[in-house]
Amino acid sequence: MRGSKRRVPRSYRILGPQRQIDERETPHPRVDRGELGEKLRSWRQTNAGGDPFRRIFGAGDGDPNNCLQHIMRQVPEGAVNPNRIAVADPKEMARDIKEVARFLGADVVGIARLDQAYVYSHRARGVAAMGEKPGDPIHLTHGYAICMGFASDYYKFLSNNSRISDADYGLGNNRTIPTTFMLAAYIREMGYPARAHHYGRGEVNPIPLAVNAGLGELGRHGMLIHEEYGSRLHLSVVTTDLPLAVDEPVDIGVEEVCKYCMKCARTCPSHSIPFGGREVYNGVEKYRINVDTCYKYRLASRGQWSNCVICVSSCCYNKPTAWWHTLAVSSIKWTPATLRVLIIKPLLWIDDLFWGKRPWKHMKWLDYDNAPVSVTCNIPGCRANHSNLQHKRLHDPKPVAGIPAG
Amino acid sequence: MTYVIAQPCIGVKDGTCIDVCPMDCIHGTDKDEMFYIDPDECIDCGACVPACPVDAVFAESEVPPQWHHFTRMNADYFNGKR
Repeated sequence: MRGSKRRVPRSYRILGPQRQIDERETPHPRVDRGELGEKLRSWRQTNAGGDPFRRIFGAGDGDPNNCLQHIMRQVPEGAVNPNRIAVADPKEMARDIKEVARFLGADVVGIARLDQAYVYSHRARGVAAMGEKPGDPIHLTHGYAICMGFASDYYKFLSNNSRISDADYGLGNNRTIPTTFMLAAYIREMGYPARAHHYGRGEVNPIPLAVNAGLGELGRHGMLIHEEYGSRLHLSVVTTDLPLAVDEPVDIGVEEVCKYCMKCARTCPSHSIPFGGREVYNGVEKYRINVDTCYKYRLASRGQWSNCVICVSSCCYNKPTAWWHTLAVSSIKWTPATLRVLIIKPLLWIDDLFWGKRPWKHMKWLDYDNAPVSVTCNIPGCRANHSNLQHKRLHDPKPVAGIPAG
Repeated sequence: MTYVIAQPCIGVKDGTCIDVCPMDCIHGTDKDEMFYIDPDECIDCGACVPACPVDAVFAESEVPPQWHHFTRMNADYFNGKR
């Protein structure tokens, strides 16, 4: 079918009623409560170490007053201007708001209706200055979700996993904060209620909203895939009652590419990404990753990094901005779904040939160097041949009925 | 939860599990007749299970009854060694 837009997302399917997720069930609060082990809880509290980037970007035991994320958690939202600006044409207003969002710093922006299924039922933490506290039920009745994406640097992510990719990941998270805050404030000054949901402070799950807003599709690794930036987008949302025209979900071929590619599953060090087909969870059919092993893998960092970005870097949609990348994605996008396999398989072969089966580059930046360090074993006499990640075998897919083994 | 190496590893020590373990939590000396998984380091990813050529690795809850004592053996191996 020609055309890049469809009304229903292809990368996930709603098959039944969805219950709202309690924000306290999400990974960070669970780790903070020690539900994934005391070792991980302790790691999260102290993982900043001496690295100043980690400390300013909100990891572990940095001074909260040196960290934008922690500061913004304390800032109450401003009042709504009583002099409301009339909106004659929601389409025109949507165009203007997207332009404002880009002006304020967003790389990509789209608008969806705010589906209550993607609003958390209870908050894990709240803004004390607004009378919010952990465990409070969330009542967010806004009609629209303005979804924004902030791209990380392609090349720095290729240093995965290292302090270089960590620094860029942290910057991407923190870039969501000022833009989202300013856009919500801008809308409040237009006379309409608006709330900012950004890194460290949010009442919504941004990924399904971003899919519905046409920013991209849901990948095998559980993240948004954008046609230009792949998965290296940090997402934020402004919810509002400002009348806006909404965007439609897009089809950029993720459904077919993820079926055959499996590069994220092969390279995920913690085997958290499935080789098999989609599963139904909470009424939604999608690829289901193992969140626990994904998070616990951080304990393998040996103090060298905090955030694993290997699946983001290995995704075949993750490329620098270039005409050949646009051409490759466009050729998939404009080919009828049933014929896409004919171009996807050669493109995947080219991807492995030029960017490698496990994309990674040796890199030096500031005084950081991501050269693989030799692995020393602290068990006396151990003769196991421990190796750095770059020397570990890629995973073989386990055969699953109906799914090609790749 | 953790994974446990049991009887079939004895005398084999293929070591493929070590190549795939993301946590490098499988250890053993030349004198040991098998490898052992450190339950404090294991993140339960299960990568070692299909990698093992002799099917010696089991989830803790799925260790066959005749090899239940290997769960304790794996944990005890690391007592006083860390």
